[in-house]
Amino acid sequence: MRKIYLASFCFLVFLHAVSAQQNSTKLFTVNFQQATISQIVNELESKSSYHFYYDPAQFDSLRVTLQVTQQPLNAVLDLAFKKTAFVYAINQQQQVFITKGRQIRTELALGYSQVRTNTPVSQAPVADYTQEAEKKVPDATTENKLYEIGVKTNTIKPGRAILSGYIRDIKSGEAVTGATIYVANTKTGAASDQFGFFSITLPRGRQTLLVRGLGMRDTRRQIILYTDGKLNIEMQEQINSLKEVKISAEKVANVRSTDLGVAKLDIKNIKQIPTAFGEADVLKVVLTLPGVTSVGEATTGFNVRGGAADENLILLDGNTIYNPAHFFGFFAAFNPDIVKDIELYKSSIPEKFGGRLSSVLDITNREGNKKKFTGSAGIGLLTSRLNVEGPLGSDKTSFIFGGRTTYSDWLLKLLPESYKHSQASFYDFNLGISHQINEKNNLYLSGYLSQDKFKLNSDTSYSYSNKNLNVKWKHNYNNKLYSLISAGVDNYKYNVSSTANPVNAYNLGFKVMQSNFKTDFTYYLSNKHTLNFGLSSILYKINPGTFEPNSDKSLIAPDIIPSEKALESAVYLGDKFDVTDNLTISAGVRFNAYSYLGPQTVNNYAPNLPKEPNNVLDSTTYGSGKFIKTYLGPDIRLSARYLLGDNLSIKAGYNTLHQYIHLLSNSTSISPTDVYKLSDPNIKPENGDQVSLGIFKNAQANTIEMSVEVYYKRLRNYLDYKSGAVLLLNHHIEQDVINTEGKAYGAEFLLKKTAGKLNGWMSYTYSRTYLRQNDPFAGEFINSGKYYPANYDKPHSVNFNGNYRFTHRYSVSFDISYSTGRPITLPIAKYEYAGSERVFYSDRNAYRIPDYFRSDFSIIIEGNHRVHQLTHNSWTIGVYNITGRQNAYSTFFSEQSGVISGYKLSIFAAPIPFINYNIRF
Amino acid sequence: MKNWRIWLFILTLSIGCKKPYNPKVINSPRSYLIVEGTINTNDTTTIKLSRTVNLNASTTLNPVEGTIQVECDNGDKFGLFEVAPGIYKLAGITLDSTRKFRLRINTPGDGNEYLSDYEQAKAAPPIDSVGFSVTGKGIQLYANTHDPKNATHYYRFDYVETWRFHSMFNSSYVSNGTAVVPRSQDQLVYYCFASNASTSIILGSSAKLKQDFLFQAPITAIESTSEKIELKYSILLREYALTADAYKFWETLKKNTEQLGSIFDAEPTTLAGNIHNTHDATDIVVGFISAGTVAKKRIFIASEQLPSTYLPKYPYDCSIDSTFYNDPHSHANTVLQRLLAGAEVPVNAIFSNTSPNPIGFTASDIYCIDCTLRGSKQQPDFWK
Repeated sequence: MRKIYLASFCFLVFLHAVSAQQNSTKLFTVNFQQATISQIVNELESKSSYHFYYDPAQFDSLRVTLQVTQQPLNAVLDLAFKKTAFVYAINQQQQVFITKGRQIRTELALGYSQVRTNTPVSQAPVADYTQEAEKKVPDATTENKLYEIGVKTNTIKPGRAILSGYIRDIKSGEAVTGATIYVANTKTGAASDQFGFFSITLPRGRQTLLVRGLGMRDTRRQIILYTDGKLNIEMQEQINSLKEVKISAEKVANVRSTDLGVAKLDIKNIKQIPTAFGEADVLKVVLTLPGVTSVGEATTGFNVRGGAADENLILLDGNTIYNPAHFFGFFAAFNPDIVKDIELYKSSIPEKFGGRLSSVLDITNREGNKKKFTGSAGIGLLTSRLNVEGPLGSDKTSFIFGGRTTYSDWLLKLLPESYKHSQASFYDFNLGISHQINEKNNLYLSGYLSQDKFKLNSDTSYSYSNKNLNVKWKHNYNNKLYSLISAGVDNYKYNVSSTANPVNAYNLGFKVMQSNFKTDFTYYLSNKHTLNFGLSSILYKINPGTFEPNSDKSLIAPDIIPSEKALESAVYLGDKFDVTDNLTISAGVRFNAYSYLGPQTVNNYAPNLPKEPNNVLDSTTYGSGKFIKTYLGPDIRLSARYLLGDNLSIKAGYNTLHQYIHLLSNSTSISPTDVYKLSDPNIKPENGDQVSLGIFKNAQANTIEMSVEVYYKRLRNYLDYKSGAVLLLNHHIEQDVINTEGKAYGAEFLLKKTAGKLNGWMSYTYSRTYLRQNDPFAGEFINSGKYYPANYDKPHSVNFNGNYRFTHRYSVSFDISYSTGRPITLPIAKYEYAGSERVFYSDRNAYRIPDYFRSDFSIIIEGNHRVHQLTHNSWTIGVYNITGRQNAYSTFFSEQSGVISGYKLSIFAAPIPFINYNIRF
Repeated sequence: MKNWRIWLFILTLSIGCKKPYNPKVINSPRSYLIVEGTINTNDTTTIKLSRTVNLNASTTLNPVEGTIQVECDNGDKFGLFEVAPGIYKLAGITLDSTRKFRLRINTPGDGNEYLSDYEQAKAAPPIDSVGFSVTGKGIQLYANTHDPKNATHYYRFDYVETWRFHSMFNSSYVSNGTAVVPRSQDQLVYYCFASNASTSIILGSSAKLKQDFLFQAPITAIESTSEKIELKYSILLREYALTADAYKFWETLKKNTEQLGSIFDAEPTTLAGNIHNTHDATDIVVGFISAGTVAKKRIFIASEQLPSTYLPKYPYDCSIDSTFYNDPHSHANTVLQRLLAGAEVPVNAIFSNTSPNPIGFTASDIYCIDCTLRGSKQQPDFWK
């Protein structure tokens, strides 16, 4: 690749102005059949002394078929690039520059000398290139310009200085998250945070910064660093290049970061993956990642490395989302037009997160466009969405608003009589506002509202809703230190009501409210240390059930379970320490303090006896605000990376976690009437730890990534339910649950091709998850106290996800997933009882449902890509479950007219075609 | 534009499905004792003993021989008599309904002894009424009951339903093997009675109500096309009062065996009854033995009380043929060929203008004529 220079512009400044027409008259005879650019170039270079300069990424869809005899170079190139956007320029040194769209001028750019002399060379301590200053400069020139940072001195002092600033999208002004800045000849690198902010310590002097961002075109900046200073960098979005995006950010991240078990996907990847109803689905994509399983299709929860579904912290712009699904789990509650990217932490969970045992799914919404009003809309078979965004007043403030709704009732009305009276509807709204107060202060507001209502052919109607709001204030103290202070409220509630029988007509309500306050500080202590520290506090209030009559005739006795309160606080400190060029250690500690608060009446049970009604000694009533029981628990977060070469590293990690809020469910999947319970004196917090080890390797110029990770995990005090447990409206729920312990282990293999026309990933996961309940004081054993597989224990899982881009407008995606069937409790014998055949069940989860296999296909057709048009549109057409395999969701045995029969329930039992139309304006 | 609706309809139907499922042969390592019944303090106590069989066994009922005693907590003991394989009865004794009772079971086959926990006898309050409501699909039967003492809270019901029905065609003739003759009164097979016992577990609870009151507790549903309600229908509802533990047992049994498979239904759980093997604490015995009185109520529903649009759907496809001594087309004796040979049963006579005697008979399949194939002509004693 010696002749290929990524951005050939850089050379221009060293070239003398020579007309391209004066080239020698060497003649060529060539015969190209579907030749790629490199074949063409090799051929032409081998026949002459010309040197070609071009960016191969721009040419990957070019195929040339051409036959010429004895023609000069410019004629060959004219023919070769006829009807394409490619243009070329040839200078006297026999150098050929092929570019797309704009021809390179081989003479010196006009006004070049002014640019240099106009470069601010002030004596002010900070030379700040604000975005206004840069905006006027074309992107290409920006790359070639030499920026002087800091107080200019004649001789550059030896040592290091700090460079900080923001990375933003040149078009919308939005922050670019996770972009990496990277100095080519050293191993120093930094990544921008969620606000696009970065800080990097560099040797003083002239440096070339390589900047890479997810979904952004790679760029570079040349700087002369005199002293500490600032530089804002604007990046261009990589339009239509789909998968290629991924690479850049991960090129560095995959091998070099200390993160283990972290997956980051941007919305473009998510949108490529076919889903049942054609709408991009954040949660379905999470399920294709290694180490993530679920109990079945169309279920709300997901399980990460053997953890239960409630052990995932799902954050949407910092808001905790308790129920992340719509419509019984058919749709994720996240609007794909608003979401920017998602990050799933399976193992290396940053110390700023806590309170859940298995994973953190961090979903980030986009910031609104700061420069102009835009919007998009999408129409699918069951849902429609609309979002608008733009500046508010000035370009310091922007908003983004998105809404989705369903019109699925028509579908239910087409169903046979027995389902006809079902109704279902949902909507969700997102609002984001970001405001730049000044250089050092930014404010962000993020709100979310979702509501689901359904009535499944019965007289009972259900509804649930999430309501979330938070405000974040970001303050930069100096180049090295900034803080993020946020406060917010998260609300989840559901309601069940029935009116059919006037005497039993009822209303049942359940509500979780939490208020949270957080401060996060990031301190770039030196080029070897980056510190994170802060504190967080969550005040929980749960109304665990209000059961009330909803008419005058109703005889329902009101039953209100007293609300419970708790305070979960944590302080944390973490350090990312670059020990040597090859060894980096991230070490952190998070100290959790959890207190169950009054007012409350708590039963005291006889020690070492099952928590049963007849073992209650007495009960204690605590006053309001009283600290009833406090649990302290330190969490350790450790990970280390050792580079074995430029493209190979090994990583190891260990972490511990605590969880104080538990979801109690006795159905297979999360259902809308499950109960959240706070740890109290009788219900201990869950805790767990995990060790993991990984090897990461990149190949083929970082376009292929390979990784193998293994882990072993222990879970303690996971809450299971006793046989026949009543979870809803239970005043003494500790009597119906038991503590179980779990162990999970596995190996995850991932192969990812991140660039080129064909890209995608393939993963194989072997994982096991076992639970055990053998506490002699719990009252009953499950499976005689032996280990049994958890509901979501699926030993083998294979996922393939591939995308092939034919042209910039057409691409196809194909995916396959296979997994072992989940464990199930099956009948092993039958008998007659109460007038009917009945079945006798095996030990819990002793059998498995048949294996799962599904393949999907979709085509994405983009409208034309002219930049200046009123609207851009695209179509997504595809088929979910092409083979129509009737994957079992569950198997069950049920009595019908006195005879027991086995049934297999499938949810998507046929190929499901879908179509979606999206429009951007 | 009608097509798209049909297309979408098919699409929707095809999305989800419920199919029969028969996993590979699963065999239980052992078989478990099943004990069913209630210690009835003011009537006959019936206890059934059986054992589980493998899922693929052709007969489910597997009666067990044993000796059973009802024991009162005052020391009284009453032995039960086996009246049929696995069925044991205690009749003609009134037990003290203020006391606690248990069962002692000995199975000589394996030398095991089983004891149920002492259960307080609970009196079932009288059933206030049994009624029905007309729904879109048919009728829904319900029961109303209440306990003025606020002491029952948990109820279980079972029932025996009886109905009078008729066959498709009212036959006036019968073949005696050599000739077709008019049916005598005894030979009429148009009207019959049929009877069924409940097969599902019916529970009611007033635990969440201010008063111990069950209002329109659903019992069973009958489709509008059912033969059960074409003439007259009767149901004898029996009500049992349960303790909270017994209710939990029945509810778990119902969930495990009747209410599984939908997305949000609970997973099957271990069934904990109140019977234990005295030699082996880990042995599982299915069953819950309660004690108490039983309340009963019988009602009748005549077809006149129901919407006139209700039309019974006969369970068989029935058509009428004609048979002749001398078939006008083939000149064969189809009466002889079909009726006397027993392939079909005569319904009515066919006459011609020329002869006072029948020239043939209309005929149909025996299932369309003989109601005794599905019921009994004997009118039950309670019928009115």
